[in-house]
Amino acid sequence: MNALEVIHLTKTFNTITAVDDASFEVPDGCIFGLIGRNGAGKTTTLRLLMNIYMPDRGEVKLRGNPIGQEFRSKSGYLPEERGLYKRMRVLDTLLYFAEIKGKTGKEIHRSAEEYLERFDLLDRKMSKLEDLSKGNQQKIQFIITVLHDPDFIILDEPFSGMDPINTNLLKEIILEMKRKGKVILFSTHLMDFAEKLCDHIAMIDHGKIILKGSLQDIKSKYSRQNISLEHTGDISFLNGHPIVEKISDFGNSKGIRVKKPEDIQTLLKLLVDHNVGVTKFNANEISLHEIFIELAGSEADTSVVDKVHHDQL
Amino acid sequence: MINYRIVAVVKRELKEKLFSKSFLLTTFLIPLFMLGIIVVQGVIMQFQGDKNTVLEIIVESPSLLKELQTAFSQNKSIEEAKYSLSYRHMSRAQVDGYIEEKNKSLSAGKIDGIVFIPESAINDKSIEYYSKTPKAFAVTSKVSGLVNACLMDVYFRERNIADEDLNYARMNVDVKTFKVTEEKAVEETGMGNTILAYIFAFFLYLSLIMIGTMTMQTVMDEKTGRISEILLSSVHSRELLAGKILGVSITGVIQMAIWLSPILMLASTTWFALPPQISIDVSPGLLLYFLLNYFIGLLTFVGLYAAVGSIFDNQQDAQSGVWPLLLLIMIPFFMTFSMFNNPDNPVVNVASLLPFASIMIMPVKMTVADVAVWKIILSFCINVATVCIIFKLAGKIYRVGILRTGTKPKWSQIVKWIRYNY
Repeated sequence: MNALEVIHLTKTFNTITAVDDASFEVPDGCIFGLIGRNGAGKTTTLRLLMNIYMPDRGEVKLRGNPIGQEFRSKSGYLPEERGLYKRMRVLDTLLYFAEIKGKTGKEIHRSAEEYLERFDLLDRKMSKLEDLSKGNQQKIQFIITVLHDPDFIILDEPFSGMDPINTNLLKEIILEMKRKGKVILFSTHLMDFAEKLCDHIAMIDHGKIILKGSLQDIKSKYSRQNISLEHTGDISFLNGHPIVEKISDFGNSKGIRVKKPEDIQTLLKLLVDHNVGVTKFNANEISLHEIFIELAGSEADTSVVDKVHHDQL
Repeated sequence: MINYRIVAVVKRELKEKLFSKSFLLTTFLIPLFMLGIIVVQGVIMQFQGDKNTVLEIIVESPSLLKELQTAFSQNKSIEEAKYSLSYRHMSRAQVDGYIEEKNKSLSAGKIDGIVFIPESAINDKSIEYYSKTPKAFAVTSKVSGLVNACLMDVYFRERNIADEDLNYARMNVDVKTFKVTEEKAVEETGMGNTILAYIFAFFLYLSLIMIGTMTMQTVMDEKTGRISEILLSSVHSRELLAGKILGVSITGVIQMAIWLSPILMLASTTWFALPPQISIDVSPGLLLYFLLNYFIGLLTFVGLYAAVGSIFDNQQDAQSGVWPLLLLIMIPFFMTFSMFNNPDNPVVNVASLLPFASIMIMPVKMTVADVAVWKIILSFCINVATVCIIFKLAGKIYRVGILRTGTKPKWSQIVKWIRYNY
């Protein structure tokens, strides 16, 4: 069953169409990744989901009904640009953000303290936000996102600007929420994260959805003609070879796309014949990144994206 | 309408504003500041700068000389200002030469001035004053007042007029003022209400600008601190704006109520007896009206200031957006001054029914004059309607503004925001 259905969503700002007739489905109980490079329309899509923007056309349905305030109250949203009231105290901040979601009382107070304890921040509950380190402020933001026990967790570029400890912490929270049967939807330009965490994805480029579905289906569909190769020695003889459609260089590994699935065997033979030292030959593996490049092309900023995600891993 | 989200925002605003140190500080500092201005003004008025004036008084007619000597030596303000006076008797022909001779002393400031009272002054009251700074009003007004009294004495004494008649001639006209209203009996008024009107105008002017600017700053902080987006995922921008405006306005009204409480005590109890010249005649109803009117004024201006805050992301740019609002507050403030000459002047009568201006002018006008009930109700309705329109307009600008960062938008763009389906 689909928890959310995004149907022909379109949003234009002046002359720029940020989201262009986007349709995708988010199944119940899954981790869903909305993937695309910077400026592809991810944030706008999420803001449309959260009713922060009104769509020009199209709609979003929550289990068959148009979304509204009910969905907002049931969701926890962590925007990419995130800040908090600097002079407010930690506990007050948590309780305030729960209150505007409609949750008040002793239970939420206790729950807030439990989360603080879990993140080693209980002794800081009366501190002002401005006195906390940036990493600790991020922890407070995670707690705000999940404190009111939302059914939907929507995260916009959750890993950007995060240190490794908090990155792992957030991953933990995401997986824990999944175990509880919540729907997690996040946007990212970091393909590796998406690949490790997501069950379902939608790829967005220039506002259009260019690929969607379960990660497994997508990978098996694209891997049949793709080989991930790690080697020593020269493979330049493959350039322009009749069985090779395309070679992508990912640094440590090469992605080779052959013209027909049966050409894989021929390729392996060719490599052996040319005395290339094959250290890894994976014919069933294709990274999300490779699929993305194949579909969206390797425009200048994807190399930046690539670099960023390698730095962060 | 009001829901739990708006209530939560209002509560947060109250917590932040009402229970803060700055609230205590401004609540007590602003009246102190006003008092300070009044005291400084008073001190400046006192300080006329004519202390230790050295004057020479030259009289042509010997009969006048003695009169003047007694008058000057008995005068209190001359004594307080420690004038040092010397008297001479001289004829018209000698005076010119004498002035020439004293030229050096005059320009060096050894002598501040020479007063010459010719024989003819008895008939035409025309005297001469020679000085480096002849326009010293503090000096000439004192001298001329005393000389006038002496001339009158001498003139009438020669005509054998009774002292009784002479005293009558010396008397000024005393205008007692009475305020006539429809309901109440005719009452004698003092300066009290005029002072009160001045205080009201000043309170409104100062606190509207102060609270408005403060709100603008917090909206800008939310915007630049990237808090808006998290808030907007739970709260609609209209709810957020409504909660913010309500919270700030309630804080403002409470502050104003604190400021007005001494006035209420002065007006309604006899604990502090004011001298009749400055007794205050205000009903608790007027004070209540003042608070209600102030609340509506706050709703209007805080909404506008919040909208301006949402447009800009730094203080410098915001200054350029804020001047139209300042004009909306300052022009009515200066209009209120015209009421101290005539509370019923046509400019004020029209302005008391105009949106924005009415908020300041109507309560001030009601303090110094009787205003027809229908006018009060009409202006109230106009103000409420203004709040509704402003809230709609500000809400649209706010919605687009708080999520927008980057270059400073042009006014034409902002007009477009109002039409956006954002």
